[in-house]
Amino acid sequence: MSMIEFKDVEKYYGDFHALKDINLKIDAGETVVLIGPSGSGKSTLIRTVNGLEEIQEGQLIVDGFDLHDPKTDMNKIRKNVGMVFQHFNLYNNKTVIENIMLAPRLVLKRDEAENKRIAMELLERVGLADKANNMPSALSGGQKQRVAIARSLAMKPKCLLFDEPTSALDPEMIGDVLKVMREIAEDSDMTMLVVTHEMGFAKAVADRVIFMADGQILEDSSTEQFFKDPSNERAKKFLSQVANH
Amino acid sequence: MNDFLNALTPDNLGYLMQGLWITVAVSVLSIVVSFILGSVIGIVMFEKIPYFSSLVGTLNNIVRNLPLLLIIFFTYFALPQIGIRLPVFWSTVVAMSFFEAAMLSEIIRGGLDSIDKGQFEGARSTGMSNRQTMMYIILPQAYKKMIPPLISQLISLVKDTSLASGIVLADLTFRGQVVYAQNSHYIVPILVFMTFCYFIANYLLSLLAKRLDRRLA
Repeated sequence: MSMIEFKDVEKYYGDFHALKDINLKIDAGETVVLIGPSGSGKSTLIRTVNGLEEIQEGQLIVDGFDLHDPKTDMNKIRKNVGMVFQHFNLYNNKTVIENIMLAPRLVLKRDEAENKRIAMELLERVGLADKANNMPSALSGGQKQRVAIARSLAMKPKCLLFDEPTSALDPEMIGDVLKVMREIAEDSDMTMLVVTHEMGFAKAVADRVIFMADGQILEDSSTEQFFKDPSNERAKKFLSQVANH
Repeated sequence: MNDFLNALTPDNLGYLMQGLWITVAVSVLSIVVSFILGSVIGIVMFEKIPYFSSLVGTLNNIVRNLPLLLIIFFTYFALPQIGIRLPVFWSTVVAMSFFEAAMLSEIIRGGLDSIDKGQFEGARSTGMSNRQTMMYIILPQAYKKMIPPLISQLISLVKDTSLASGIVLADLTFRGQVVYAQNSHYIVPILVFMTFCYFIANYLLSLLAKRLDRRLA
């Protein structure tokens, strides 16, 4: 069953054609990595999946809902589709545990004791149980990102979107975040769409790699095939450039 | 010194204190109404609802650019001509609330604008509604940033109630004028006393602001 399906999707910012004729199907439980040079439309594409960006043409079906239909209640989709951002976006006015507990309380009406238990479990899972009552400003970047992941997991989503989750982190912080993401990927029920520059992570956990440039999908291959022998010329060039680092 | 004792007799003091009470009552009522109305207008301007927000923004700008005294005259002298007759006290409250809401709404819109867009996206991406996002995430952060400019605006409001002496609202300023009109020796003592009253009222307001600031920090 497909979790996310793009059919002939077009997206414009004014005159700028940001996404061109996107056709893409991601099945439930798949882990898909989206790579490409900056300005290629990867972030725009991932942000359309939970409606943070609107599409102008085509069809985008997420979890059975048509996002282009004005009657669709976006909050219903977002309940099941979490997002982790490059700049974390933790609530600055809430403690770590409140960051995690707020949406389940307001949106899912989860029982308070149960809510707290799940939040503490998640904090333990990301290795930050001792920070439960800290404010986000007291955390390092890597810790903030792990809290942000715990916050999206607290909603028990079917699908998680990661928009360059390690790009704003110091190098020594990246490993911990990737480790948490790897563990989520191994949970076979979760659909994951990840925009990243971490090729090692892509190789290790992705089922598929999608390469984008200039708002188009240029390659969509299995991970093994993509890293061994990409068919697209620009993808080849991109890979050799990142491999040289 | 004698002038002070002569001016501030128990009778005069009582008369002036009643004026202070009216000043405080007008201020408190106007603060409450203008804060609620100003928040609503500020949020409307911030949300950028097509046509409606810019219409509200334009009207708001017009009100902000009028002298408060003109608005006070308008509510007291012009409204009765279209059949709305308000007592002087309520005329003042209406005029002050209307004018201050326009001033406060700009502060509130600015405070909302200063909140990082990521805070919305973080909240909306967990399935929280726009209203929940505003209530639990955005407004608390915005109000905290707005406390200093809000308080200076509210201090202006308390001081500006004195303008209503122009429509013979029996507030502190008006009663002060009545008392020193009896005897020119009273001018200095009464003005000093009024200074003291306005200062205390506004100083208390700024203390409250400091406490709020620390509680929200």
